[in-house]
Formats: sequence, C-alpha cells, structure tokens
Amino acid sequence: MSPDFKARFLVALGMTRPDGVFRQPLNRGRLHSRFTRIFRGFMGTVALLILFVPGTVFGAVKLPTVKIDTLELPNGLHAVMVKRGEAPVITVEVWYHVGSRDEQPGKTGYAHFLEHLMFDGTTTLGRHFSDYIVRVGGIDNAYTTTDATVYWETMPSSNLPAALWLEADRMRNLDLSQKNLDNEREVVEEERKRRYDNPPYGTVIPTLYEQAYTVSPYRHLPIGSVKDVDQATLEGIKDFYDTYYVPNNATVVIAGDFSVDQAGQLIRKYFGPIPAGTRSVSPPIPVEPPQTSERVVRMTREVALPAFVEAYHIPADGTPDSYPLRLASEILSAGDSGMIYHQLVYEKQVALEAQSSADFSEDPNLFFVFAVMTAGHAPSEGEAAVEQTLKRLKDKPLSPKELQKAKNQILFELAQDRENSKNLAEQLGYDSVVLKDPALVNTEPSRFLSVTAEQVQAAARKYFVRGNMTLLEVHPGQTDQVTANWHTGTH
Amino acid sequence: MRLKAQTWKRAVLGLIAGLGTCLVSPPLSAREFPPTVPPPEAISFHMPAVHQLSNGLRIVVIERHDVPIVRLYAIVQVGAEADPPGLPGTANLVAGLLPEGTQRRSAYQIAQAIDQAGGSIDTGAGWDESYANVSVLSDHKDLAFDLIADLLIHPAFAPDEFERIRKQSLSALEVVNQDPGYVADVVLRRFLFQGTAYAHSEDGTRQSIARLTRKDLVSFHAQYYVPSRTVLAVVGDITEPESLNLATRFLGDWKNGPTPPAPPPVEPRPLHGREVVVINKPDAVQTEIRVANLGIARSSPDYFALTVANQVLGGPAANRLFDVLRTEHGLVYGASSDLDCYSSLGAWVAKTSTRSAETIKATQMVLDEITRLRNRPIRPWELQNARDYLVGHEALQFESPSQVANQVLEMMLYHLPADYWNQFPQEVRSLTAPDVLAITRKYLSPEDDVIVLVGNVSAFRNGLKKLGAVRVIPIADVGRAFPEPQKGTADRPAPGR
Repeated sequence: MSPDFKARFLVALGMTRPDGVFRQPLNRGRLHSRFTRIFRGFMGTVALLILFVPGTVFGAVKLPTVKIDTLELPNGLHAVMVKRGEAPVITVEVWYHVGSRDEQPGKTGYAHFLEHLMFDGTTTLGRHFSDYIVRVGGIDNAYTTTDATVYWETMPSSNLPAALWLEADRMRNLDLSQKNLDNEREVVEEERKRRYDNPPYGTVIPTLYEQAYTVSPYRHLPIGSVKDVDQATLEGIKDFYDTYYVPNNATVVIAGDFSVDQAGQLIRKYFGPIPAGTRSVSPPIPVEPPQTSERVVRMTREVALPAFVEAYHIPADGTPDSYPLRLASEILSAGDSGMIYHQLVYEKQVALEAQSSADFSEDPNLFFVFAVMTAGHAPSEGEAAVEQTLKRLKDKPLSPKELQKAKNQILFELAQDRENSKNLAEQLGYDSVVLKDPALVNTEPSRFLSVTAEQVQAAARKYFVRGNMTLLEVHPGQTDQVTANWHTGTH
Repeated sequence: MRLKAQTWKRAVLGLIAGLGTCLVSPPLSAREFPPTVPPPEAISFHMPAVHQLSNGLRIVVIERHDVPIVRLYAIVQVGAEADPPGLPGTANLVAGLLPEGTQRRSAYQIAQAIDQAGGSIDTGAGWDESYANVSVLSDHKDLAFDLIADLLIHPAFAPDEFERIRKQSLSALEVVNQDPGYVADVVLRRFLFQGTAYAHSEDGTRQSIARLTRKDLVSFHAQYYVPSRTVLAVVGDITEPESLNLATRFLGDWKNGPTPPAPPPVEPRPLHGREVVVINKPDAVQTEIRVANLGIARSSPDYFALTVANQVLGGPAANRLFDVLRTEHGLVYGASSDLDCYSSLGAWVAKTSTRSAETIKATQMVLDEITRLRNRPIRPWELQNARDYLVGHEALQFESPSQVANQVLEMMLYHLPADYWNQFPQEVRSLTAPDVLAITRKYLSPEDDVIVLVGNVSAFRNGLKKLGAVRVIPIADVGRAFPEPQKGTADRPAPGR
C-alpha cells in the first residue's frame, strides 16, 4: 500500500492523529515507570545533579547510559537536560503536569482549550511566539494528554535563549481575551470534527472510554465535551491557567546540542522570577471502582465494514504488573507475527486489520484490541479468535524465544527514543513528569530484562478476563446509535 | 483592523530579524522581546560516497554508533507511474507482497525473523519509487541484509498469499473510500493530472485489484526490480566496510534483466478553465477542501522560487492560509499548501477542512489568498522570514542519520546535483520579491484550477454556483470508476458504466 494510504487508513480507523498535535497515538508504545521520588531527595534548592548508572546490556547489544543533568529552582520549577552533539539541533519542551484527568465535571476539555490559547499571545509580546521559532527554521507545537500538556520546539541550537524566554513569557503573561477564546472555541470544534466526528470510525475510541469507565476522568478524552467547551468562560479558563501554569507544576526539558551551563543560567534568569503558585495542583481524582462484569456495547454508524474493540483495564504505568503486561502486549501486538494480527488477519483471515495496544498512563488505563472485519465476516468471529489467543497466553508460559522477542521489541523502542532530540525529550519529559523519575531512561531497561515468562502468564491471567472487559461492536447503519447491556448509574 | 495591527507588528519583527545581530538593541524596550539570535547559519552537507557493485547496485553508508540500531533503506526506481494501463495499484501490490513470502521463506517466517530481531519491515510504492525498509537491533545486521535481499530479489507472489492480500486490499479500499481526506486527494489527482500516468489511484480500484493476476505482478517485478535501478542506504551502528561486505554477499549476485522500454514522456495537460468536483457524503459534518494548480517536477530550476512562494501561502510554518482561515476567522483547524513534486510533473495544492455550512466561505478565502499572492509582491518581511526558515530548517532535515539517508535517496532519485544542499541556501537567499511574484504568476491561476470538495452537499449547494460549473458525484461512486474527465487515464471505467 502507498504510504499515504497507510496513514489515511489509520486515520479512518480513528487510530492515530492526522497531524500530530493533539493526543498521543494509541499505538505508540512508551516506556514508563513507577512513581518514585528518589532523585528529589538529593536536590537542594538550586542544585545541578548528574545521574549516572552503568549502561544496560541486552544480549549482544548495549544501550549506552544517558548523562542527565537536572535542576530545581526555588519556585519549584524543574529542568531536565541531556546534551548530545551529533547535529546543531535542540528540542525544548515545557511539560505542565495537567491533563484531562485534572478536569472537573462540567469543565471537560479545559486543558486542551488552554493549550490552543497558549499560542494566541502574551501581554508583553503579542501573538508572536511561533514567529521567533519559525524565523530560524524551527518548528513548534503542543499536545494535551490525559496526564500532561506539552509544548515543544525543535530548532537550530542557537535559538535556545529565545525559546526559553518565550516559554517563560507565556507561563506568566498569557493574554487571555474573550476574542481569542471565542475564536479558539471554533477551532477546537473543527478539531473535534476532524479527529472524531468525520472519520468513519472516529467516534469508536471516545465511545469506548465513556463505556469502560464510570467515574474516572479518563471517561472523557482530552478534547472534552461539546457542551463544556461551548460553555467555557474566560474566567473559568483563566482560573485553570492561574492554578496549573505555575513553575511548581512545570518541567523544562532540553535535549540536543547545547551547553548545559548556559541553559541552566538562562532557565534561572527567565523562569526564576516567576512566583510559585499558591493553589493545589493535585486535587483529589475519583478512583475508578474495579469492573466486575463484562460490558457489551453495540454502536451503529455509517461505516463500510463492521469492527470491534475489546478493552481490558490495566494498572497504572510503572507499577510492578505494568512490566510483564508490556511484554504480553508486545507478544500480542508487535509486528505481523504478533499473536492477534497473526490469528485474525493471517490465519483466520476474518479481519483486514487488527491492532492491539496497551495505553499505559498515570492512572490505570486500558489494553485494547481493535479489529476491522473483512467483507462478509462478523465481529463475533474475530472475538472468538481473540479469546483463543488470550487463552494461549494464559494457559502456557512464553517460550524463552518468545520472551526474548518481546524484550528485543522493547529494546528497539528504547533505542529508537534516542535517535533524535525530539524523541529523547519526549521520553525524558514523560519519565520526569508523569512517572517522577528522569533517571528511568537509564534504569528502566533492566526492569524489563528481569521479567520472567511466569510473570507474563500471571499478568495475562489476572487482567485478560471477561469480567474486566468492555466489548464494543460497530455495525454499519444509517444513524449513529449506541446501546449498552449495562448501566453506569451516572446516566 | 486586527489584521492590520498584526501585520504591522510582524513587519517590525521581520525588520529586526533582517537586521539580525548587527542591530545591538531593538527599537522597542528590550524587556518585551526575546533575546536576539543570529540569523540561521547554513549547514554544510557532505554527500556520502556512492559505492557501486558490479551489477550496478548503488550503496551509500551513513555511520552513527551511539544507538544500537541498523536501518536499511532500498529504493527501486519505479513507482505507481509505471502501473500498466487499466491496472492501477500494480506497483503498490508488488511492493506490498514482498514481505508476504519469498522462494525460501513463508510470510510468517519473515515476520517471525524480523520481529525476533526487535526490528521491522516496511514496503510500499510512491509515484516514482518503490521501497523496502528493514530495521534491526545492531546484533542482527546479517539478518537485515539477508532479508532485504530475499525480499527484493526472490519474492514468491505465492497464489494463496496473493489472494489473501487481494481480499484485504479490497476491504481496505472500502474503508478509505469512506474517508473524506483520502477521497479528496484521489479525486483531485484524477482531475488535475488527467491524461498522464499520474492520474489514477495509486492503491488501485475495486476493478483493478480484482483483475490483477499473479502474472501481472511477476512481470512487473521482473521488469523493474533490478540492481541497476536500485539504491541502498545503510544507516546507523555499522561500519562502511562491513556494509559493503554484507551488501556484496547478499546482493552481489542479483542480476539485471533486459532493459525495459523507456516509458513515454509524461506531459501534464495544461488546465483551461476551472473544474469543480463535489463528492457528496451526506453524513459528513465537515468538508475537505482542495484547490490545486499544476506545479513542477522535482528537478525544475523553478523549485527554489516556488518553495518560497509556497512557504508564504501555506508552507509548513506561519503562513497566510493559516493566519486568515484559522487565526482570523476560526473556520478551520488546519490550513496549508503543499508542493507535490514528482519526476516529470507536480501539483501545488491548498488544503483545509471546515464545518459543512462554511464550505463556500472557506473555499472563497483560499481562492482570495491565491489571488492576492498572484496580484501583489510578498512583503519584505515575509520574504525574509520564508528564506530564513528554509535555510535554518536544513539543520532539522539532517538531524538524524535516517533523515540524512532519505535526503540522499531523494537526491539520487531525482538526479539532483551532489552539491544541491550546499547550493540551496544561496539559491534561496538570492531570490527577490519580484522573482517570487513572477514564478507565482507562472504557476498559480485561480481561473485555471481544480477544486475538490468532499462533504455534505446539501449544506452548501446554494453557494456552489459562485465557484463555477460544478460536477457532483456520490461518494459511493468513487471506489468504482466514475465518469472520467478525459479519456486516457489508466483506470478507465469498466464496460457498462
């Protein structure tokens, strides 16, 4: 298939982003780890600390140690820096630890709405943020996930001072006006249509999350509800900005070719004067009660072929069970020899595409299988094949060769994260902000290496069970309808 | 008013940028501006040595040893433009079947081998090239060369694998033919490039995929997949001598067949008047909009000036379409324009999407911007910003070894000179606003263009007249062969339609 076809096919399935600004693609495996505060204990008020552990060896391949410099300012701002010198390019990211999981009922979509407004100008500079990046050949953008809002610039290294100035400026001086708010509201609605409402299978994933959760804020995607975005007020958004866009809720990440000393000075100079926030940046978040029985949801939509999704609740990223589950996910999902693809697409030929993916995040998320049936085949045939496949994983431990394959897949992804400054910055930011440990880029590989076949089997038995599953079938129909065999108690 | 105010500020910024470091302090309070940085420096690019095996296969090696990955990128100089008449989709089906079994390995054996190595295989075809990419952890180098050679030289096109892929392709076409973005691009191409080898659907149609035989695939492969048409880029944690040894060992015996007859030269048919095509999808909530003119071949000397013009109109950074449609009017999420350049022709396409009811308004705004670019020279700061972006952006295009490899492959595919990227900054910086205006007038014309709208026509039918004579086609007809604009495109309608 042509490259364009492949890309558009995934868009049609609602499996990826057309232009990569909004939500992390569902099939991009990311390696994360447990919430630890080990490194915080070492830090003084303004300390430059170097984390060093030996490189990790996987079989014959060595993953070199990444030298990480960190910094914490008195106002609570963190910085994580990795210098690498292959090309005169850097990526700067500012991670705000606020995502759709922090949104209150009636105020969904605020984190993402604010992300848009962050490009609309400051009281000091006007609407010129991107001009200063683009003018030197750089590119900039942002995205919002359930857990964080991330702003990034990749550019020639010489532009580092300007980028840090600009990021500090919009952390403090954002010009929130009614006019910008009204304009971005329209833009966000177009984004919703483009990502979810218009592609043939675009509403599947939002519907799935709504059905798989009852009280967790993961119930809604970062795009939020039409109603909440419609009713968002300037005051409400400003309140959100004042609460979360403070140095003590932000981490600056820099990767690429630059001087760590100079960067440290610039960060102190530009971000240092910004006062720490005074409000809580981690209000209590409703905990999803365990699911106890299978949920079956049927939706109709104007699609060419039927499809289905099975979703299983999985634990939070970085918890002990997350490591064997990641390996199980690789065995099920990675490549054309992945068990799900192999069974549904190759052996039984009931599906034209089948993907599975573990969407690990700060709070417990979902592992899911998504398949579009080939003409003439019903979702039930695919569901039976998935059940058989999961049974195999539960009945028998992986062979040593299978286990090694899963570990090699993980290592490749880890190595890939170091191929350019943007990938590396993404990894460092996620580890630092969501998992609270920037050293994970060095320490996490060994956690994967030590997983045994028995642990993978035990994890599969624990999580891949019917009572823990939400099944969503999509059938061709003239109108959009959703019916479920269960009640959340909240509708 | 707002537009003016902003334009004025941009002009100031552009001025400051233009003066660069020569200007010690900017005219306004320094507190309000980010620190001045020097204008971007051009990077110096060293074209890697091109090695050639005795069978004509060319090889370039880009070493980098800090990440334990080896990537092989092979391109074969044949793409969808060579699809036989009546059989669109051939090049893509041939490439798609490479990993689905060789004379030595079944599809599953190939998948198991590459997945065991932590790697991946990707094959496909563009318009001018087919490709096979193999990536592995660096302790599996031999396997990578072994696999890529096996895929390129000995694909089996086994009947059962072919039938499986045929069935999947037919189902996948059903899915993408419901996707407004995909449909817009396919239909645009059909009208814009009518009468050339670039007008058909590169993924084929229901009829062509159903009609293709194993013999068609075997013969396409035998004709074009030869070492003299192939370039291999080896990237990453591997040395040059090691790469050449492995390439010789696994690809050295690959034989050239008889040279295929040269394809007839492709001459784009100039557009006379406007063609408006509306694909009706009654359940759409948003309309995909494309406005296109013919562009240029990749090797055209007009490439630099047109790139600057496109940068201002809708290029990959700040641009007029985005400013007007999104920033000023909140009509769209994204708006851009692309220069799609192939070996013998090209397209200049503005693209966006908007809520159904605003379709005509948004389309008209795109047309207005095209007219503005054609009628008046771009402003000095726009020229400066576009030039600086393009020169500075080079560093980003060569950041990773894979990017370097892909730039080199592009240069070889389109016969660009070895010093191309070193000349690029100078070429771009020497352009003036009148140069850009002249080139815009040469290629961009709102009178002679193709407009494609994919959406719910009942929401904007009333305004359509303003755009010109319109042809409305139900979306269900796109996957079939709907009536052709002209005779002579590759996928003619099936008899009876």
